[in-house]
Amino acid sequence: MDDGFVIETTRLTKLYGERILAVDRLDLRVRRGEVYGFLGPNGAGKTTTLRMLLGLVRPTSGSALVLGGAPGSPVGLARVGALVESPSLYPFLSGRDNLRVLARHAHVAESRIEAVLEEVELADRASDRFATYSLGMKQRLGVAAALLKDPELLILDEPTNGMDPAGMADMRSFIRGLGRGRRTVLLSSHLMTEVEQICDRVGVIRSGTLVGEGTVAELRGRESLRIRAEPLAAAERLLTTLPAVERVTTTDGALNVAADPDAAPAINRALVEAGIAVSELRPEQASLEQVFLELTQPSEEAA
Amino acid sequence: MTSVTAELLVVRKRSSTWILLGIWSALAVLFAYVIPYVEYLNGSGPGPGSLEQLLPAQLAGNLVEGFPFFGGVIALMLGVLGLGSEYGWGTLKTLFIQREGRLHVFGAKLLALGAVLVPFVLSVFALGAGASYVIALREGSAVDWPSAWLLVRTMGAGWLILAVWTSFGLLLAAVSRGTSLAIGVGILYALVIEGLISAFADAVSFLEPVTEFFLRANAYSLVKGLGLSVSEAAGNGPGAFSGPYVATGQALLVLVAYMVAFLALSGVLLRRRDVT
Repeated sequence: MDDGFVIETTRLTKLYGERILAVDRLDLRVRRGEVYGFLGPNGAGKTTTLRMLLGLVRPTSGSALVLGGAPGSPVGLARVGALVESPSLYPFLSGRDNLRVLARHAHVAESRIEAVLEEVELADRASDRFATYSLGMKQRLGVAAALLKDPELLILDEPTNGMDPAGMADMRSFIRGLGRGRRTVLLSSHLMTEVEQICDRVGVIRSGTLVGEGTVAELRGRESLRIRAEPLAAAERLLTTLPAVERVTTTDGALNVAADPDAAPAINRALVEAGIAVSELRPEQASLEQVFLELTQPSEEAA
Repeated sequence: MTSVTAELLVVRKRSSTWILLGIWSALAVLFAYVIPYVEYLNGSGPGPGSLEQLLPAQLAGNLVEGFPFFGGVIALMLGVLGLGSEYGWGTLKTLFIQREGRLHVFGAKLLALGAVLVPFVLSVFALGAGASYVIALREGSAVDWPSAWLLVRTMGAGWLILAVWTSFGLLLAAVSRGTSLAIGVGILYALVIEGLISAFADAVSFLEPVTEFFLRANAYSLVKGLGLSVSEAAGNGPGAFSGPYVATGQALLVLVAYMVAFLALSGVLLRRRDVT
């Protein structure tokens, strides 16, 4: 499958029991070398999808290829590092001993342990028991565990969970660094800022189905202009005649103008010269959060 | 092999391993030597032969009596905790995404648990040897040790009995995906099902053939030829067993078959089930 996809799923489906459809015919493609954000509300099927990609959960139907092989195969797992849901490590072992156990299972040289501890800045607490770590430290040790194999593909499920703002910022910048170069990162999250800052492409999942995919810019769509003017009706009539303006709509007492933001000075001049008072004129773009909510909230018909 | 060393590290650093070892060793010596010797000193023991049972010459037969039930229940807990806790901590999920297949990880756990059962056997024999030596010195009796071959066979039998119960614990943990229910069901089985049915087997004839397939019956039968006192076994508290005994070879085969079956079923469950 060396067509550039590190992860490729085809109609991947997971049905728990007979009624709970966790993942529904999911077609997901993650390209080599990208940081792919996997966005969705709680219960959307993100973690179940990641578990299927790691061979922890068997799909009910459909298929998945991870690094060209079946999920969970030893050859594939040797090249994948993952943190799924929350860091699950032995509470009575120190951070270092936990990594030692995993390194031995993964056939990784124990010299990697100190390197990854340094990377996640946990070297000074590595001798303490895992049970004594704060949530943020546990997350960092979980990321260290995922990095042990120096993996080609890194799967991280909400890695900033439980971190304070400074820790989250550090972790995001760390993940961004990890995604540079040949490594591919699949980052599952429900935090818009996280995805916006880190990811090259984003897939949005709702009720187990991919409902949107693209770069952050693509998902947010083109910038438009928001104009408040008096009288509003006259402003709208004038704007529709301007060649730079594609479309004008009115919401909340303001005009949303589909036009290149570079045309803003000319549009402003035209309005003022026509005797229309302009109290606000600014470029506007849908936030990722708005797009996310539009994509993930049930439609009114469905409701 | 590195997976086995990983699992050995986990087993070695778990406090529950050492707590169970401590409890088992203490109980074994307490019931095999300390209480009987106090009874002997008070003249409240079973009879004049009771001192002989406590001397080094009877080390194998005296100690092995504790393995079929008391040791078994401790080993059951070791097995349950060895796998069941991993569900609670979520570590099974972490191990299964490292590199090796699920059965490979399970195999490493088995080998590590098998290895940790060795000190469970050795510690009891070492403490028992010490206790019997002290008693012999105090009573001015001869210090005659059993033959090395008998000791090796007895320790081997003890290890096998513990291994079968550990496998049973692993299976219960795999079925229940946890520890509490598995330990509860395991002890219920050992104490109530095997214990009560064995007790009624003398009076209810159709139960007798059933008891021949019990772990208890086969474990006692396995060690009967190693110096076990049948009368002592019949009065062994909740672990009492008064027969029927089966042939040693049959007992060995049945126990090995149980162990293989328990492990195979556990392996199938681990391999086929989703890990969430």
